[in-house]
Amino acid sequence: MGYFYTTLKYLAVTLWSVFVIAPFLWAISTSFKDFQSVTNGATYIPWVDFEPTLEGWRALWKSPAQGGVAIVEPFFNSVFVTAAGSAISILLGTLAAYALSRFTFKAGPIRNGDITFFFISQRIMPPVVLAIPFFIMLGKFSLLDTLVGLILVYIVLLMPIAVWIMVDFFNKVPREIDETALIDGCNPYQAFYKVVLPNSIPGIVVAGMFCMIFGWTDFFFSFILTFTEVQLLPVAIVALNSSITPWWSLSAAALVSVAPLVVVAFIVERFLSKGNLSGALK
Amino acid sequence: MAEIELKNIAHSYNPQAADMNYALDPFNMTWVDGGRYAILGPSGCGKTTMLNIMSGIVQPSEGKLLFDGVDVTTLSTSERNIAQVFQFPVIYGTMTVKQNLAFPLVCRNYEKSVIDAKVQEVAEALSLQGLLKKSASRLTADQKQLISLGRGLVRDDVAAVLMDEPLTVIDPDLKFRLRRQLKEINQKYRSTLIYVTHDQNEAMTFAENIIVMDAGKIVQVGSPAELFDRPKTTFVGYFIGAPAMNFFDCQASGGYMLSIGSAEIMTGTDLSKVGSAPLKLGIRSEYIRIVEAKGANTFTAHVQRVEDMGNYKLVTAVFEGHVTKVKVERDIAVPVDRVELQLPAENCCVYAADILVS
Ligand SMILES: Nc1ncnc2c1ncn2[C@@H]1O[C@H](COP(=O)(O)OP(=O)(O)O)[C@@H](O)[C@H]1O
Ligand SMILES: [Mg+2]
Repeated sequence: MGYFYTTLKYLAVTLWSVFVIAPFLWAISTSFKDFQSVTNGATYIPWVDFEPTLEGWRALWKSPAQGGVAIVEPFFNSVFVTAAGSAISILLGTLAAYALSRFTFKAGPIRNGDITFFFISQRIMPPVVLAIPFFIMLGKFSLLDTLVGLILVYIVLLMPIAVWIMVDFFNKVPREIDETALIDGCNPYQAFYKVVLPNSIPGIVVAGMFCMIFGWTDFFFSFILTFTEVQLLPVAIVALNSSITPWWSLSAAALVSVAPLVVVAFIVERFLSKGNLSGALK
Repeated sequence: MAEIELKNIAHSYNPQAADMNYALDPFNMTWVDGGRYAILGPSGCGKTTMLNIMSGIVQPSEGKLLFDGVDVTTLSTSERNIAQVFQFPVIYGTMTVKQNLAFPLVCRNYEKSVIDAKVQEVAEALSLQGLLKKSASRLTADQKQLISLGRGLVRDDVAAVLMDEPLTVIDPDLKFRLRRQLKEINQKYRSTLIYVTHDQNEAMTFAENIIVMDAGKIVQVGSPAELFDRPKTTFVGYFIGAPAMNFFDCQASGGYMLSIGSAEIMTGTDLSKVGSAPLKLGIRSEYIRIVEAKGANTFTAHVQRVEDMGNYKLVTAVFEGHVTKVKVERDIAVPVDRVELQLPAENCCVYAADILVS
């Protein structure tokens, strides 16, 4: 029975791995193909089925005028917008979450829980509801088609995630730790940044990871709120899908766009598996 | 170091609610500078609330707090210069043991040499020297609580050290040693020490004065001997001592006399003014004597069982429906069936409506 069960388990894991890895392998192999090897039926193994070429990758650097797809600038735009949006969201979100976790707010019938839910509710709405208001507001402030405009929008999108995760995290941090810091001679601000904050790194890492993933993969808002001056990576990649799609460059660009997330996932995974998330305090 | 005075302090956690109830009823209390106190009471009676009011974590809804006559009610926790240790370990997980112990001093800008010396001293007292360089998050619960204690003791100029059931998570062996150590430290620095516990033995062996609390009220303040011999209410009689005090429903029968059923008992209390309140006679099982023959202040009871408690025997006897516990020395022979019990007048406490008649 045990043997059968183990076999079944490994079979399932193997199937799942194939399911996850296959698209990557396919994209990797496609990125080294040329027009011939893509259009003349399916080819699989380099040097056997097709002759690998670096053209797809070289095109990423070249401007459209040189026959390239110029993915470098959108890539760094995306890095900048995601990093700035995530950083500001984490900063504001952590402070807001600490306040929501530790102080009691009252405004009519509204309590802390309602305020927290208000933040989260921003993510429950379908994005399309927000698109027009964002468009009009950014237009009013001449922030359409700018990095700053995108960062502002990303803060609106990402801060709820940060607040949500951090409220939950701070609620699990015993109040006694703040109180002890006060007794030991800190004022409330010192108690926060000397004691509570260093202990909250695991929560911040997780919140940061989610912010970066949601920011990095957003297509909808960057598509609607930018035109010519500023382009983010997801939009640039989709733009490649024209009448004659350069599948090789598209695959290379897609791999480039996934790479940062893979790196982040590995770092966070290492961090979490060290047991840093639980037991940081007790 | 200061005399701490609580003036008409009261606290409610929901003062706006229509059915507001006090977690702590209005009371007055003075903690003498350098005293060693224990607060004793069942869970939920307001012990932690009282400590938190003194340290400033909780703002009392009513009343004033004075340190050496100076009103500190509105001062923040850090300005009050109080040390407090909680029931469960609180450690700064990102710091080493040494940094944990030094934190209260670092926060208050002590000189480095002073900090090092104090940390060393506290680490020695609590046998933490070997752990100083370790990360505090990698310790056992016992060790973490020692660090919490250490942070409470590292400053010797505090107005008071408040300890909220600090030895709950510590195992009995170590508990015993730590209790002695705390006593020594208190005697060395003469800082006021207020120690919350629900363990009467801990309170009795540790404190000069015990504050017994029940349901948000201070019921009695006194030395261990006073609490044992003259409990002010039947609650204190039940709560302190093992077994609990014996209580008999009774009627006043003139002068210092009262009757428990058919038995006439002479007490040391003048009962002419007690009126119609229900009366109870309270006496410790330690003070009831087994005698040979009927005499003054005796009644005849049926022995129900005799338990060997090691260093003494606990006799349970019934007299006209009143269950009576008697502690007798191990080598005294207890009659199998009927036994004559004598209640010495000077050990009889009389309660009218559960309050000691004096
Ligand atoms: N933060 C709080 N909010 C509301 N009620 C509380 C709070 N803390 C304590 N209480 C209530 O106040 C009473 C006294 O609690 P506490 O001082 O913690 O008692 P103890 O320490 O003696 O067990 C209890 O009835 C408890 O339920
Ligand atoms: Mg308590």
